[in-house]
Amino acid sequence: MIALAYNSWVGSLEFLALAANTLIRTILPPYRFRDILRQVVFVAYESAPIVVFCVSFAAVVTIIEASFHMKLIIKNDAMVPGFASLLILRELGAVVSALLITSRVGAGLAAEVGSMQVTEQIDALRMLGMDPVRYLVVPRFVACVIGGFLLSIVANLVCLYCAMMVSQVSLGYSPGSFLMSMRTFVHFQDLIFSSIKGACFGAVIPLFSCYYGFRCRAGAEGVGLATTNSVVSTSVAIIIIDFVLSWLFTHFY
Amino acid sequence: MIRFENVVKKFGERTVLNGITFSVDAGEILFILGTSGTGKSVLLKNIVGLLRPTSGRIFIDDEEVTHLSEEEYLSIRKKCGMVFQHPALFDSLTVFENIAFGLRRHYQLDEEEIRRRVARVLGLVNLPDVEERFPAKLSYGMQKRVSLARTVAIDPQILLFDEPTTGLDPVTTNTINNLIRDLSRTLHTTSLVVSHDMHCALAIADKILVLDKGSIVAYGTADEMKRSTQPLVKDFLQEALELAKTH
Amino acid sequence: MRKLIEIIDDIGGGLLFLRDVFRSGARGPWRYDIIAEQIWKVTQQSFSTTALAGFFVGAIMTVQFTMQIKEFGALGYLGGLATSGTIREVGPLLIAFMLSGKVGAFTSAELGTMRVTEQIDAIRCLGANPLREIIFPRFVGIVVSSFFLLAVGLVMSVAGGLLMGLVFSGINPEEYLRHIPTIVSFPSILSGLIKCLAFALVLSSICTYKGYTTTGGAKGVGRSVVNTAVATMVGIVIMDWLTSYLGETVLRMVMGS
Repeated sequence: MIALAYNSWVGSLEFLALAANTLIRTILPPYRFRDILRQVVFVAYESAPIVVFCVSFAAVVTIIEASFHMKLIIKNDAMVPGFASLLILRELGAVVSALLITSRVGAGLAAEVGSMQVTEQIDALRMLGMDPVRYLVVPRFVACVIGGFLLSIVANLVCLYCAMMVSQVSLGYSPGSFLMSMRTFVHFQDLIFSSIKGACFGAVIPLFSCYYGFRCRAGAEGVGLATTNSVVSTSVAIIIIDFVLSWLFTHFY
Repeated sequence: MIRFENVVKKFGERTVLNGITFSVDAGEILFILGTSGTGKSVLLKNIVGLLRPTSGRIFIDDEEVTHLSEEEYLSIRKKCGMVFQHPALFDSLTVFENIAFGLRRHYQLDEEEIRRRVARVLGLVNLPDVEERFPAKLSYGMQKRVSLARTVAIDPQILLFDEPTTGLDPVTTNTINNLIRDLSRTLHTTSLVVSHDMHCALAIADKILVLDKGSIVAYGTADEMKRSTQPLVKDFLQEALELAKTH
Repeated sequence: MRKLIEIIDDIGGGLLFLRDVFRSGARGPWRYDIIAEQIWKVTQQSFSTTALAGFFVGAIMTVQFTMQIKEFGALGYLGGLATSGTIREVGPLLIAFMLSGKVGAFTSAELGTMRVTEQIDAIRCLGANPLREIIFPRFVGIVVSSFFLLAVGLVMSVAGGLLMGLVFSGINPEEYLRHIPTIVSFPSILSGLIKCLAFALVLSSICTYKGYTTTGGAKGVGRSVVNTAVATMVGIVIMDWLTSYLGETVLRMVMGS
């Protein structure tokens, strides 16, 4: 028990050290723009189809569920568009896209860094005088922050657009009345808050992935464990950060 | 005992085995040599039905096994023991349960008999007092020996070894090579050994088969190999000679 | 186009795999001991994560709803509205995402490791059917325990909402709970539970299939974990839509409108 507590204490210190290291090296030159750009393409551009696909389904579900619900309780669905867009902008858009990036990019990164660690490529980098944090973590960190920011905007817009279409088809709201109802519930600042959330979620993803990747133990088992741990820790961190930020943002309304 | 007739194995577009024909008699030790990625392991897995050939026929004890179903193959697998490249021990079971696993599946034995047999095979590989330990607690060489014990425990008539000595120290390598030889001499077991160690092959093999890019390039006894003019065989021999000098 | 064919190929392979699992698993003698062991293992491993996630999801929803409801001056209904919003849609979805990382990725890593270290081949050689001995008990175990975990997560989300209602919006627990039964109807709970079951099935099938078909060493294990996580999330979103759609259709038929 004491050993476990000690290990998790040392582990969290190591994680904080990695995070601080990454931040410092992000700010200090030299900047590796080419690497960062390549990672942005991977994180944001290549994840976009799957994010769009998933949030459009989520939008449909939100509309169906909200109307189902309202009809059951207050026997009319006048508030459905507002209610749904509230859920989408405040929660679903940012969190769903962040969790998708976690599994696609974060898990992939943990597996990649983990295999590099197991096959001693990280040590080889060190021997060649390259700092693994600068070389591996920083470009991905910057790319994930940018990617999280952009993707949450895209996800929100697509999600709202889908919700609008669905409510026209199945509930008979014209886009105009949808927007009217939406305006009473949400404001433009919600979109800004949501994208800030997205950027924060993006920041934790590569940190956890690289942390577990660097600590990866030998063999296939080690790589699997590192990947799993990074996905779980990142998802939990995202939910907690989401809670903290939601609370923080309530002071700005 | 085992006969291959023009066996071809393809993975998608890639041909891994390209028309393999050979046969092994009962009690013989056959070494299959070749560089990495020439289909040696694939050849072994075709015998026990873990992979099935794309075309061609395989006979075991004059019974064609090529088209047997997974259930029918069980009786063949009872005759064959395979020692994998990785130790492939079950992590969640103790060494005792690992070795007893096959015994419980293939035979109806009482606990006493199982205990006796496990002790016997662990004695064969020089590993007393490890029954209750878990595989993760053992060194790599010990794991390999437990894996060998697990395979020998079911008294197979045919033993298949997938690189049994790769990554082991010379002493353990010797132990395993002697064990292969003793098993085939005393129990009249047929052995197929996949390896890239010509040195061992010359010492204990009855026949040697050299594979390259999915085809057989040389086949014969140790003496025939030494006289061979095939370039790949010569490379292997050169290696073995140098190794012999350093010892 | 090629990508699309690959995806369809994958789905087909998964369905064939499931058929094989059920053929060899459901027929033979059920290994209740292994199934029970799996249920216990998965539940114990993931209980704290799921409970934590559920708690925070509930708390977030309460915070979000409070501001809105305050404007309407109906703060008394906060408990009912936040709970019903959580249980019906956001709760199951987010908690299932969490489980896809915890249970799904873990299982596919475990099975993938067994595959690339040739343990699965060894089982076949020693005369046992891996689908019956390894996959089927895991499949059943994961379905049962994820369903249970999702339900626990939902209960915890109510607790999280309750606490935030007290701390953030100043509503005492009694009042928070009082309006839950009036707004959260039986169909809401039922649809939440049906969603949980559907998600558990998707999760279990994808992670056993992806893990069992791993190839290519340590790198391959990493790859199949990533694929599992992504495929599970997409599968869960689609399942979410499907259950909602069917639920609505059924409701329309029942209500006759």
